[in-house]
Amino acid sequence: MLESDELKWALLIATMAMLMMAFFVILFVMFYQKRQLSQEKKLREVEKDYQRLLLDTALNSEETERRRIAQDLHDDIGTMLSLTKLSLNQLSKLIVDSGVKEDQIMRKSQSLLEETILHVRRITRDLVPTTLERFGLAAAIEEFISKLEEDNNLKLSFHSNTEDAPRQSQKVELTVYRIMQELVNNSIKHSQCSQIEINLQINSKIIRLLVTDNGIGFDPEMIKENNLAGLGLLGIESRLAIVDGTITYEKPVIGGCKAYAQIPVVPAAATKPEPLHPFRREKAII
Amino acid sequence: MFEGYLSFCQRQPIASVSVFITIIPIVVIWYRRAFIDPAFKLLFVYLILKLCIDLVMFHYASIRVNNILYYNIGVPIRYTLLSGMFYYKMDMKIFKTGILISVGLFILFFIWDFLHVNPLLSDLHNHRMVLYATTLESLLMLFWVLLFFHQTIQALKIPNILTFPFFWVCSGLLLYYSTTLFIAPILSYTEKWNNKIDIGFLQHIPYIFESISMILFGVGTWIFSVRYYARK
Repeated sequence: MLESDELKWALLIATMAMLMMAFFVILFVMFYQKRQLSQEKKLREVEKDYQRLLLDTALNSEETERRRIAQDLHDDIGTMLSLTKLSLNQLSKLIVDSGVKEDQIMRKSQSLLEETILHVRRITRDLVPTTLERFGLAAAIEEFISKLEEDNNLKLSFHSNTEDAPRQSQKVELTVYRIMQELVNNSIKHSQCSQIEINLQINSKIIRLLVTDNGIGFDPEMIKENNLAGLGLLGIESRLAIVDGTITYEKPVIGGCKAYAQIPVVPAAATKPEPLHPFRREKAII
Repeated sequence: MFEGYLSFCQRQPIASVSVFITIIPIVVIWYRRAFIDPAFKLLFVYLILKLCIDLVMFHYASIRVNNILYYNIGVPIRYTLLSGMFYYKMDMKIFKTGILISVGLFILFFIWDFLHVNPLLSDLHNHRMVLYATTLESLLMLFWVLLFFHQTIQALKIPNILTFPFFWVCSGLLLYYSTTLFIAPILSYTEKWNNKIDIGFLQHIPYIFESISMILFGVGTWIFSVRYYARK
């Protein structure tokens, strides 16, 4: 009898201990897995933020470098070319009576120099959109399309409601501008289109950029699935990731392509940290 | 006949519940079509076989005939099918191989234990429960369950473990085998005609946790989604 009681107690204790262990294991798995997942999520967020920061830094560096090159072109090459032009003008006055051949060479040199000055000016403007900094998105886009219309046989139209909208932060404006540039360039390069329509709408929350063309279009799903996205499309997505923006591509039934980008509004701060204007060097304070 | 069954149900309500509660997970697996998952298919087969064996045992118990032979037959079937579920759930090949080897070795061990406890097979009246096989089965199953939990924690593939059907199945198995581990070898001495040891209420513990595990199997299967499984 005593042995049976002892056995019962021993069995009861052992069974209870095992049962407690089983409950503990189940609870442990439930909570530990949840904690691990939340940690993993946090880690992914940190990694994502870090990637975003890297991307942001890379794009900032690119813009800074563009600005520096533009500034050097304007200040150094531009000045030198202007001085050369002055010198040539003076020289041309001196050789007026030298002969027809000399005069022709002089005129040709002057014309080439004029052309070079124009090229340098164009490159400088392409490198840094000064109109964007001075007058905002709508003006910069208008300038961009007017230049394109000069060089291509294209019909470009631009609609916007940005007259009353406040200026956006430098980063957001530059992002929208660069995306627009990339989308339009893609349409010209790949879609064989004859018409491009750009639509820019800004409300209190979101900036909407719609670029539509009447070209051959493309299947965005196929491009994503087959990893065919070139640097252009990836660049657009990278730029948008930094400003929490999104982009969708559509292939309308009637043909062509529609790219629809949305970016949250970030109004410009009162003071601008770094001007885009390439022609102003900071004065050294002595 | 029915009076005998009713009388047995009244005398042994806990044991009777553990027989008929098996119907719940069977119906749920069928209703949720969970058998499209190979692991749940094995569970389904096991539950049907278990129900058949339990009904036969229930019948013999109600007419006071030794039914331990059917219990013993059920032990290797149970281990083969339940550990087979883990064969499909384990990611690493070494564990899959381990499960297959363990099934083979366990069946050999069971045969030895079966013959060791019952030297005279023709004496069905005094047929006894296997002595060590159930304990070994409990140990092995606990090992596979813990290994699966470890794999789940490490892999972090499941966003919410509470909505993962197999977690509930494993929880049921863990609870059942944890309580059976120490009681199982004693049952060989309690479930016999002569000189039996009385362990009182503890004798019902395997039945209670068998019923709990059946409910947990039912819960796990209820949250099984064919659409989710297809997406995986």
